[in-house]
Amino acid sequence: MDRTTFPGEVDSALARAAESPAYRSRILRRRWLCAGTLEIELDRPSGFTFVPGQRIRLFRGEDWREYSPVSAPGDQSLTLCVRVIPGGRFTPWLASCPEGSEIAFSEPCGYFVYRRSARPACFVATGTGIAPFVSMARSGLSGFTLLHGARLPEEVYYREVFEARSARYVPCLSSAAAAPEPPLGSFPGRVTEYAEKVLSGGPFDFYLCGNRDMVRDMTRIVDERFEGSRVFVEVFF
Amino acid sequence: MKIYTGTGDRGKTSLFSGERVSKADRRVEAYGAVDELNSVLGALAAALEPDQPGLVSEVRRIQADLFRVGARLAFAGDETDGPALPELQEEHAAWLERAMDRMQEDLPPLKGFILPGGHASAAWAHIARTVCRRAERHVVSLRDGQAPGTASEAFRMLIVYLNRLSDYLFLLARKCNRLHGQDDIPWGG
Repeated sequence: MDRTTFPGEVDSALARAAESPAYRSRILRRRWLCAGTLEIELDRPSGFTFVPGQRIRLFRGEDWREYSPVSAPGDQSLTLCVRVIPGGRFTPWLASCPEGSEIAFSEPCGYFVYRRSARPACFVATGTGIAPFVSMARSGLSGFTLLHGARLPEEVYYREVFEARSARYVPCLSSAAAAPEPPLGSFPGRVTEYAEKVLSGGPFDFYLCGNRDMVRDMTRIVDERFEGSRVFVEVFF
Repeated sequence: MKIYTGTGDRGKTSLFSGERVSKADRRVEAYGAVDELNSVLGALAAALEPDQPGLVSEVRRIQADLFRVGARLAFAGDETDGPALPELQEEHAAWLERAMDRMQEDLPPLKGFILPGGHASAAWAHIARTVCRRAERHVVSLRDGQAPGTASEAFRMLIVYLNRLSDYLFLLARKCNRLHGQDDIPWGG
């Protein structure tokens, strides 16, 4: 996961804290959520905390990657959702290194956090962009709308978390668009199609986390259909 | 990594506090001027390198401070309940004042108006000063128009800082000329 930068983050002290190894931890266990996507549980060092939606930078030698925890800040362990890139320099190692391996990570950073508001929150995620919303829900946030874009039904992970906490939970399956019968409770198409054709109400506070195309298209839809809404964005490049 | 998202292709942008606004919004104009100032300071630093590492370091610090200015300007809410924004403090303005005191010790008294110019680094410092004044005017205009979030202490500090910074840049321009063996260019009018 890469990220958008916000000007304030480039501010020296904050940036240094977010860009350098501040904690050492161990990989406690791994769990495959579906083919190609992994949940990794780290020992949470004492003193480390974060606001749901913030991200941390994992280090391996000169390489680093950023992830938003899916665990709640008070959980015993720190859990990350990782899409494994075949042939990549970082994630295949995360997927295959022995449990107990040491790993360093930074202080948390970022401002993609839930902000109290009179407007209802509408979370929109593609793929592992669901991570910040999992942490928010596990931290007690409820009553939100969530659109989770995936290609296949098995890629709709964390369903049980959102079914328990959301006011409206819509897995949007792009591969189901051509299928005669979409899986129960899902929308056959992309999140943007749902937002354009089905989503009602608003204005909302939209929180968009995922790929650039989704963010671009959703922002257009917000401008056209949901005037007066706010938009918070975290982009995966 | 590609830098573009395309979310601004229709002339709107998102503020840090989430509001979708026109790119012609005066708040965008304000943080755009701060961004422009920061870029000019980059040119100034380039003109100073590698002979003046101390001044380059000062300019770099100011560039970092300006990200704080931009962050506050891009936030239209009264308060954030998320992680605190990196704010300017009294200390940031006080640091500029100390830097100005140091520079003034080495400069001859000013006897009249001077023309902006001289050494390339001095010329950049003068451009930075004028862009800084423009940024300051935009920020004051936001406050005078009672734009959301502009009544806060954090916002007041922006105005103090930009006011102090333009004074600093005036002195820095004179210092740049002096360091490069050039006198101030007096106004002959």
